[in-house]
Amino acid sequence: MTKTLQDIPEHIVSLYKAHPVSSSIRRQPKVYEDTSNFSSIDYGDVIVADNRYFVVTGHTVEGRFGVDDQPKQWVPKVVDLESGVSHILKLVFHEVFSVSVGSFTIPCYRSPEKEARILELTEDHPRFMKGKAVEDEAGNLVRILDIISGRRLDKHIYRHECSHEEYFVSYLPGILKEYIECAKAISFLHQAGFRHGDIRRDHILVEYTTGTFRWIDFDYEFYLPERPFALDLFELGNLLMYLVVRGNYHPKEIVDDPGLGQKVLDTITPEDQSLLSRNRVVNLRKLFPYIPETMNNIFMHFSQGASVWYDTVDEFVEELEQAAASL
Amino acid sequence: MADWHKILVAVDDSSLSERVLNYVGEVVGGIDKVGICLLHVYPEPPPYYFTEKHTLQEYREEKEAAARQVFDRAGKVLENHAIGAARITTSCQMATGKTFSKTILQVQKDGGFGTVVLGKRGISKAEEFLFGSVSNAVIRESHDFTVWVVS
Repeated sequence: MTKTLQDIPEHIVSLYKAHPVSSSIRRQPKVYEDTSNFSSIDYGDVIVADNRYFVVTGHTVEGRFGVDDQPKQWVPKVVDLESGVSHILKLVFHEVFSVSVGSFTIPCYRSPEKEARILELTEDHPRFMKGKAVEDEAGNLVRILDIISGRRLDKHIYRHECSHEEYFVSYLPGILKEYIECAKAISFLHQAGFRHGDIRRDHILVEYTTGTFRWIDFDYEFYLPERPFALDLFELGNLLMYLVVRGNYHPKEIVDDPGLGQKVLDTITPEDQSLLSRNRVVNLRKLFPYIPETMNNIFMHFSQGASVWYDTVDEFVEELEQAAASL
Repeated sequence: MADWHKILVAVDDSSLSERVLNYVGEVVGGIDKVGICLLHVYPEPPPYYFTEKHTLQEYREEKEAAARQVFDRAGKVLENHAIGAARITTSCQMATGKTFSKTILQVQKDGGFGTVVLGKRGISKAEEFLFGSVSNAVIRESHDFTVWVVS
């Protein structure tokens, strides 16, 4: 049975009425102690979890590249009415879908349980988002997340308008130092038996105040029993290359870049391209000759020409630390 | 070094397994000292399994029933090579918190098997990176025992 403001304590109702949301909502707000049907929870409604009352102020959006941002109904933005602190809630959505990795299709699952366990594991680790998982009245695992005040990593690396060479010399060393710590954080997860599951350049936020890189969004789970950490490793490699050259280079980007062009593209062979994302160039020294060989060798571990690849994040980090030290 | 006559053969329901068993039969069929353990490894349940209200007990029972069929078929192949049931044991293991290859290696170690026999599928580099190669992983970790790879 859906509850209303009449079903919650008077002092909470007063707080609700004092909140700007209450003056902009044109209907009776609902109060949800059972979040099973998250698609019916909307702006101005109240979610009860952890004995706290959260008013919904919006929804986060799906920031998939090249796709219009779509609201994520299971991830409302909220304000704790008593503390006044903003949070993001993640409600239970056991979605199963397929993800393309190169020419392969892999089943992917949203796992609130996994994310909750990682939140617990990493509560004292500085490289992960912070939060708490609690059960609502119906036993749904609601994750109450602290908001990181920061900028997405992919936007962070573009905030200085400069040539790539200047970026490489002046900004990349600092970026790599933070990235390495994030990679070590992934190793920490792997050693505890967890995958991140969704390593991407917009799943690291760079804190405004400290510049610390922190991981978010680890509720994706893959089922790869023989190589449980391969996808995380592969995406760490992709992210590293993206950071070093400040972008992804496929034939189109190479041809369109006035500093590169067809002449450079003609030097690219299949062995220079990614093992899984076959069109992406990983032999990036052919595009940017000032990339040291030690760094390029790391990229080449992810190439079609590779005869050996990293088995663990620790192997990858060890070589990366050496390469980064030489920059 | 472990006794090579104690042979661990990893089997599943594929046609590759039949080739593996025929190969083993051809090579050691006439050697009385040989004892064969058929090993069937299955993965842990996929992430969605328990949210669909299934239990681990159900999953294990389903997989062990499938394993018994694999072992029955395997027994018939080996019988054709004069390897009778008295020389065959079976083991069915869930790869709990481990990869398939690590499970096989653990069984090899616990049982003191001197020979491990595996099938090898022809897979691309990309497939191997993502999905793994059990045979390559076992070869890499093989110390003091022999690995036969049948492709």
